[in-house]
Amino acid sequence: MGEIIVSMEDICKSFPGVKALDHVKFELRSGEVLALLGENGAGKSTLMKILSGVYTRDEGKMQIFGKEYGDLSPKLAQEVGVAIIHQELNMCKHLSVAENMFLGREKKRGIILSNHEMEQEARRILDDLKIDLDPKQTVGELPVSKQQMVEIAKALSINAKVLIMDEPTSALTAKEIEDLFRIIKELKAKGCGIVYISHRLEELQHIVDRVTIMRDGQYITSMNFADVTMDEIIAYMVGREIKEKFPRVSCEKGKKIFEVKNLNAGRMVRDINFSVYEGEIVGFAGLMGAGRTETTRAIFGVDPKESGEIILDGKEVKVNCPMDAIKAGIVLAPEDRKKDGLCTKLSIRHNIALPNLDLLCNKLGVVNRNKEIEMCKKAVKNLKIKTPTVEIDAKNLSGGNQQKVVVGKWLARNSRVVIFDEPTRGIDVAAKVEIYNLMNELKKQGIAVVFVSSEMPEVMGIADRILVMCDGRITGEVMAEGITQNEILTLATQFEKKIVSDEK
Amino acid sequence: MNQKKQNPIKKLLSVRGMGGALTAFIGLIIIYIAFGIINPNVFSGQNVMNLLRSMSKYLIIGIGQSYVLITGNIDLSIGSVVGMSSMITATLMTMGVNPLVAILISFCCCMVIGIINGFLVGKCQLPPFIATLGTMFVARGIAYMVNGNRNTDAIASGIGKEPAESFQNVFYYGQTAGVYNTFWIAIILFIVFFFLLSKTRTGRHIYAIGSNVDAAKLSGVNVVATVTKTYLVSAFCSFVVGLILCGQASMGNMEAGNMYEMYAVAAGVIGGISPLGGTGILLGTLAGSAVWQTLENGLNMIGAQVGIQRLVIGIIVVFAVLLDVVVRNGVFKKKATS
Repeated sequence: MGEIIVSMEDICKSFPGVKALDHVKFELRSGEVLALLGENGAGKSTLMKILSGVYTRDEGKMQIFGKEYGDLSPKLAQEVGVAIIHQELNMCKHLSVAENMFLGREKKRGIILSNHEMEQEARRILDDLKIDLDPKQTVGELPVSKQQMVEIAKALSINAKVLIMDEPTSALTAKEIEDLFRIIKELKAKGCGIVYISHRLEELQHIVDRVTIMRDGQYITSMNFADVTMDEIIAYMVGREIKEKFPRVSCEKGKKIFEVKNLNAGRMVRDINFSVYEGEIVGFAGLMGAGRTETTRAIFGVDPKESGEIILDGKEVKVNCPMDAIKAGIVLAPEDRKKDGLCTKLSIRHNIALPNLDLLCNKLGVVNRNKEIEMCKKAVKNLKIKTPTVEIDAKNLSGGNQQKVVVGKWLARNSRVVIFDEPTRGIDVAAKVEIYNLMNELKKQGIAVVFVSSEMPEVMGIADRILVMCDGRITGEVMAEGITQNEILTLATQFEKKIVSDEK
Repeated sequence: MNQKKQNPIKKLLSVRGMGGALTAFIGLIIIYIAFGIINPNVFSGQNVMNLLRSMSKYLIIGIGQSYVLITGNIDLSIGSVVGMSSMITATLMTMGVNPLVAILISFCCCMVIGIINGFLVGKCQLPPFIATLGTMFVARGIAYMVNGNRNTDAIASGIGKEPAESFQNVFYYGQTAGVYNTFWIAIILFIVFFFLLSKTRTGRHIYAIGSNVDAAKLSGVNVVATVTKTYLVSAFCSFVVGLILCGQASMGNMEAGNMYEMYAVAAGVIGGISPLGGTGILLGTLAGSAVWQTLENGLNMIGAQVGIQRLVIGIIVVFAVLLDVVVRNGVFKKKATS
């Protein structure tokens, strides 16, 4: 094991409203592959973005190759030898492979770009990596997995000594993953330090030397990969105690209300089957990008589906657009309430009335003001929305109350199925409990409730039955009583085997 | 890789943005021949000369606007800067200031507008439509104020008859090698800016920003500086056209250049410059401005009224952008998911 090439200490970083990193320490040695692990929102990506100059830290010390650095910029980080492969693809789709690889550090003669030289160099790097690509090809015309390889080639073309890979394999095929691992091993032999972030724990055994685990913006522990079992890693990752209290209400399980059969919609929604009964809350658990939001969108008719039946009270309903779903009584409280859930610049009254205008208007399309106000007052009263009047703008409400308005606009019409996508994200504990109570209330009224959440404790505390998704598929169905977080996380990381295991 | 064996036509087509430009050139030839068949005077030497001169103005502002469009922004202040350039130069010359000094002062003023645009859009992240709408009014206001809310007298009244004539000849009426100087100016600017856009680092960065500004930033591209440069090019082109209009009228007109920003967008867009950023080459702008002027000229020659001319151009602009949108959404989506 080589000497320490990167050391970060007491790194703090806050975003408005969130402390993303709280006195985190981090070390990377030359010639090793370090897996940086943690749940969603643990701060892995943020920490690596600080190291690569995308973000600047609020406090803390950072040493690269023994030299103290202040605020890095992406360009300075490149010059120092730190390269990052971002989780989201960051390519200029209109430019060619070579142009993308040399973006920001083009080779020139005088003031003229020497395209030929760059193409040659790009070809040499691609050949080295055994990536079969023409440097002149426009990146936008390549499939996503090839674009990912270009991103990797780009990072390597700067002769990085520290290479950060944030979920590099999510878009790759098995063959490409093998190539990537071969490249990683070669780089390791050359003395590079590699930080590898992945949710696919089963991949780690092929390449990883050491692991560092983070949780909730804090450094938890580091150890040699050989000295630790997968179960221990998972335990460190989730290890928090459940602080919130979850007010579970038990109900008699009634008849089947809602059923989804063979739903397919793109790569992230594959063969989804589930049903919801009267008097139960069905939870959807999984890691970020598991396809849960995509599933809810497909059910609600926002995204087109390739196949699938939606059955409500025994009858099939055709859902081609959100209005079809709303008319049938299937409604969605979307993940991003400010973007998809509310018109934040409109008043509460306007927001609640918006999907119900068909009920509120007369035949000429004129809104009946009295009915409208009556509907809003009822919603405010039933949901205990804290607001002086229904005329104030939705953006002025707290997160919890905004969420209630989103729900309120659906409950004003007799909805049968309410899908909540991350309803408690970014709201405080007290407001969370109110949202839980609201879901319980719906459950008692016999409305089918689907509850999507990335926070495992709340799914376990509120839902009666939990479906776990991974990579667009449902990988398991468990009853909430008696299940542990570890078991759910194991299901949530059941990726389709892309690589053949070394283990005999 | 058997790239060397490719035939020249294929090689030409493989140049990014060439498709749009070639389409416009083919359209140009069809339109020109069609008008020529209706009225053979379209082919006359004098008409060709006039055509080349009148398209030059649109080509120059088109170049400026294309630089901005390729980064995914827009410059609405072009027409007003044209007017400002024209008014400042003319007013100074009527006061007896040496034409070269007048031109230099006008140049500096126009560049200030370019810097302000770049600062507002690049640094302050204002929506370009709003930022340049503001500078559009400001520059037009200055054009009005320069000579106290009225057009200037003839420039000869200040600098004398001979210098005035030579100013007019340089920018509008004179000829070199049998072609109007205006066209030569346009062609020189075209070559210079074509070179800058396609062969230099700044040019590459302009495309990168229009394609994916985040990726450009993360690759170490100085986005603020590059965006500012595009607005400077745009302001410079407007400045030159201001001088041309001043030479043509031999005086400063407060309304000079009105609507030119829109003509510039049209010239670029017809030639395949995408208003969404990232694609297009200046050859397209050349073809686009030629298409435009040929249409105007041809419709004129066959006796169509201004109303018809505008109507036809409107349809062509929408059609060109529609083509761009269809190609983008169609081609890119299909390939990305396959």
